[in-house]
Amino acid sequence: MSATPLSRRALFKAAGLAGAAAVLPLAGCGSVPSGSGPSSQNGVSTLRFMQNKPEVVAYFNQVIKDFEALNPDIRVIQDFNEGNFVPGLVRNDPPDVVTRGFAQATADYVRKGVFADLSDLPAASTIDPKIQDLVSSWGQYNGHETSALPFSLAAAGVIYRRDIFEAQGVSVPKTWDEFVAACEKFKAAGITPIYGTFKDNWTLGQGMFDYVAGGALDIADFFARLTAKGAAISADAAESFTSNFGPALPKMLELASFSQKGAASKNYADGNAAFAKGQAAMYLQGPWALSQLVAANKNVRLGSFPLPVTNNPADTKVRVNVDMALSITRNTPNMAAARRFVSYLLDPSVVNAYNEKNAAFSPLKEAPAVENPQITGLAASVREGRYYQGATTYFPPSVPLYNYVQAFVYGKNSQQFLSALDDEWRRVAERTAV
Amino acid sequence: MTASTFSKPVNKMAPLGLKNRSGRTRKSGREGYKVNWWLTALMLVASLTVLLPLYFTVAMALKSPDQIGTGTGLAWPNPMNWDNFAAAYVATNFPVAFMSTAFVTVFSVLGSLACSSLVAYAIARNWNRRFFRGSFVYLLSAMFIPFPVIILPLIKQTALLGLDNPGGVVFLHVLGGISFNTLLYIAFVRSIPVELEESARLDGATTWQVFRKIIFPLLAPMNATVGIFAFLGSWNDFLLPQMMIADPALQTLPVVQMLFQGEFNTNYSLAFASYLMAMAPTLVVYILAQRWVLSGVMRGAVK
Repeated sequence: MSATPLSRRALFKAAGLAGAAAVLPLAGCGSVPSGSGPSSQNGVSTLRFMQNKPEVVAYFNQVIKDFEALNPDIRVIQDFNEGNFVPGLVRNDPPDVVTRGFAQATADYVRKGVFADLSDLPAASTIDPKIQDLVSSWGQYNGHETSALPFSLAAAGVIYRRDIFEAQGVSVPKTWDEFVAACEKFKAAGITPIYGTFKDNWTLGQGMFDYVAGGALDIADFFARLTAKGAAISADAAESFTSNFGPALPKMLELASFSQKGAASKNYADGNAAFAKGQAAMYLQGPWALSQLVAANKNVRLGSFPLPVTNNPADTKVRVNVDMALSITRNTPNMAAARRFVSYLLDPSVVNAYNEKNAAFSPLKEAPAVENPQITGLAASVREGRYYQGATTYFPPSVPLYNYVQAFVYGKNSQQFLSALDDEWRRVAERTAV
Repeated sequence: MTASTFSKPVNKMAPLGLKNRSGRTRKSGREGYKVNWWLTALMLVASLTVLLPLYFTVAMALKSPDQIGTGTGLAWPNPMNWDNFAAAYVATNFPVAFMSTAFVTVFSVLGSLACSSLVAYAIARNWNRRFFRGSFVYLLSAMFIPFPVIILPLIKQTALLGLDNPGGVVFLHVLGGISFNTLLYIAFVRSIPVELEESARLDGATTWQVFRKIIFPLLAPMNATVGIFAFLGSWNDFLLPQMMIADPALQTLPVVQMLFQGEFNTNYSLAFASYLMAMAPTLVVYILAQRWVLSGVMRGAVK
């Protein structure tokens, strides 16, 4: 053996020892506050706040700083690692305050009583009951508890380029026929009417499928009847997908036909870049895409409108989802501090500022008018309560719904698509029947 | 030298084969001086599979958000946006996450080397006893259990033992590696002649001294293999720290880097800047340990 590898080995040894020496005390200090049990030192209690949107971590750091300045006896640690929520429950040391997007998966926790009842929190009465209903529609613990208070409501419609609409002299369509006419006009002018990103099948699911279904029928009512029917569902029953969705589906194919050539090979990121550069007039995406579009093109002027699916303007509804809802875990040792933090977050100045900044709608009864021009077009529908939660959100994750939607858009066989959904729903109902 | 001693008797015994032989040697001799263009071209193309992604990573890390969507992605950003590194450094609280990852990695590697080689030595030298043969099968059978199946019980257990921190991750990395690493080591220990140990024992060495002074140094090539596997496995591990470490302040780099990937929003430039910073130690280790890596991989290939 020559001298070189020996000295290298010595080098590694030294580096390893140095690294170990530097880290050991760090790990030692860090592990002190992480133990379970009431975490309070010198009268300062420490809250763990698990937040479900990594892109607003910096925003919440500022919110937390403001909160701590007003409440010197509480320290808040933000955690965006949502994957640690279930492990937290398993080790009986979950985060104290949790925000989650509300749909099927979160409803599971609610029904199992993971979260504490917040109905007696003064802030609970300031929330628009209709938006609170969106949360409770997924089920309530003991049939009446308020397990989560909505913090942010995202409304999704058609994002459009104001400059292209103005240049072509097209105004925001109020009916389906107007919408089709607008698409034809863009097409005649050589502009792609709608940018399609069919490669990412979720964009088809939350986009055209949810919009067409939600605009054409009463989604909440449909799924309530479907669930009540249970495993007895068959394709020709009055409650089936086949009986209800059939008439609306051709509109999906019409929307798909207005997409650019090669939409099947474009994904969400491609779509954001292309749409920001003006390669199409409209984009079937929710407010989450807005920040990406602006990042790709600072000067882009965007607006949104709810997709009209019928020819009666009064039918037009917008797809919403409770993007963030605040919950406190039931067994937290810091209940009082957690309730103070949640109350602070639901203070009008905090919750309204967050939603204005992030192109979303405040859930408060007395929310100020939305000023962000990117979403003002959706404000009337939200204010009047003309909204629905997307049909895709009602499906359990075990149904590969997005794949079915994609297969339908490619294969155009609505019969096959709907009977597949009926079969899937029946199988899930059979499995989960009590 | 060995080639000539072997070829001499062959040439003597079979004069017919002389032409053949010498023809071959001349050919192979020429190859040493002549560039094999086909092979070189193949190597160049193969190297692109590493260099191209690396180029994209570096280029992406230097782009501003509005440069990302433009062009084919191959273009070098102009102007270069060095601020991405600073922003990613601050956003991930890089020094803390780095130290946490380094802690996990260093002790996982040391632990894997120490534990697995000891286990392998014990088993290989007591092969005639049923208990040791059985324990080898027992350890190997762990390889048939998929990790995700046992993750929740593991989380429960580590929490009860106060191991819901980087220390617990180290423990599980060492434990999880034992079956595969032992398999590697045992094959190697068997190839070491027992006579070496016997001579040491005649000089009065204890079992520990035999292991420490004779066996472990002779295991060097396999140590490199195991060390490299353990290093890459623990440095890049995502699932275990994500689920196991309760305190977000002690989270490791791969988990912290999720910050740049929302459900619908990805901050590509910051993400790539941060990936590049996280990748740097791996690259440095590779460059320093290149020779061992290659020889180690070859040793590992023949069990």
